[in-house]
Amino acid sequence: MSENVPPLMPDVPRNQVHRVVQTMMRDTRVRWVAVVFQTTNDAGDLFTVTPYVDDPTQGPA
Amino acid sequence: MRKPVSTVVVLAVILAGCSTQRMGAQQLERVAKDWSLSIRASQVIPVYPLTEDLQPGDVFLVQTPVEDQVKAYLDRGFLPMENLLARLPLQGYGAFYASWPDVADEAPLPPRRWQFPTDGTANFSRAPLAAFPTYNFSVTRSGGLSVAMPVQSLPIGMNLLDSASANGTITMKDAFTYALPALVIFQKLEAWAADNRAYLRQFEPRERVVNGRTVQQPFYLRVVNRVYLVKTVDVSLFSNRAAGATATAGAPRKVDLLDIANPTEAKKQFDVINEMLADSGAPAAAGAALPGGTVRLAMASARAVSLVETFARPLVIGYLAFDYEILPGGKLNAPVSTLLRLEGQGPATGKPIVPFEGCDAQCEAIERWLEADDANFTRLKQWLERRGVNLEPYQVQFGPYPELRALIVKELVAGG
Repeated sequence: MSENVPPLMPDVPRNQVHRVVQTMMRDTRVRWVAVVFQTTNDAGDLFTVTPYVDDPTQGPA
Repeated sequence: MRKPVSTVVVLAVILAGCSTQRMGAQQLERVAKDWSLSIRASQVIPVYPLTEDLQPGDVFLVQTPVEDQVKAYLDRGFLPMENLLARLPLQGYGAFYASWPDVADEAPLPPRRWQFPTDGTANFSRAPLAAFPTYNFSVTRSGGLSVAMPVQSLPIGMNLLDSASANGTITMKDAFTYALPALVIFQKLEAWAADNRAYLRQFEPRERVVNGRTVQQPFYLRVVNRVYLVKTVDVSLFSNRAAGATATAGAPRKVDLLDIANPTEAKKQFDVINEMLADSGAPAAAGAALPGGTVRLAMASARAVSLVETFARPLVIGYLAFDYEILPGGKLNAPVSTLLRLEGQGPATGKPIVPFEGCDAQCEAIERWLEADDANFTRLKQWLERRGVNLEPYQVQFGPYPELRALIVKELVAGG
């Protein structure tokens, strides 16, 4: 796993996911972004948005 | 002429006194450093002087830049425990030491249940054990070195040997340790920090000039999470010179040098000396604990003595801690191990996980500014690095940092 990997951001409302992803993708290190359903509260659905430098689908070498 | 001669004599006395004081101070510092280096070899941050009043959850404010701390740590061997801010009311010992006898989250919490049990006598037998290697040293009579050593066995042993210099070993027996996980302490620290945000804002990163460059100087909270204590210290001294009829400082000895070839006589001599040592500091009331501990002669010959010193209650000789950088707004950054930072091992600083809080007016202004020019993202990253803010741009933009966003808008968005 690469060093200096940007950390995830939890508790992102559905209608704000695109803004977080847009800022994350400005970083040229970031090649993939995962948007994963986290929970639902009174305000609606919340997602955890995680940036990746390495391909997360490949798994550890 | 008499006047100039007396002036010269007075000057010589003064200079000799100054020289002796400086040499004494240097030797005191050297001994403190040697003692601390032996503790550091065990990967523990030394405490000097020894104290029992240090425990997990103690919060210290560190105002010294990291590079100056490292220099002081290498020069002196230890870091002074200054600026005590708070003692966090910790819970969690019961869970961390699950199934450990005599440890629970009901009062009294560790270490009080060991320091002051209900039967009145300090008892650390149920505390987790620790072990330290033996420490070698050399010592001479000059310079008042006994003041610097945290054990009284040393000057006692030197007097028994009647020697001007000796080599020795110190073995720390009956060592203990206890701790709480950094995560448990972090949760309490965050709650304390939230209640004291206004106080912490005084210690936001400040600019200072280093070698003509303006850099950010951060301040830290240092939070202890593990302590190491010792109750008994064995001191063995081996004289460097043959014992002679030199005058000894302090009380004159009642007995000659011991001869263990005659065991009956040796036992009598041992008993007499141990009686002397006990009487020398015995309080008026029998059975009362000596605050400085008790010293007992364990072995003696013409050129060597061994003494066992037992403190009334175990004293902390070292600790482990985490440093939390104070960010703009009085927030706290991710923890970094103090030991790794001081040992120059360059820990990979963990970036905190910051939850989404919203997008206020400054957030939208930053968003428009980033959209206007791709180079602005790089400018923002460099601005954050220069100020030592260990956060990603999206964390600053959408996290709980309104003051930081306001500063970015003022210096970059509006000024750019």
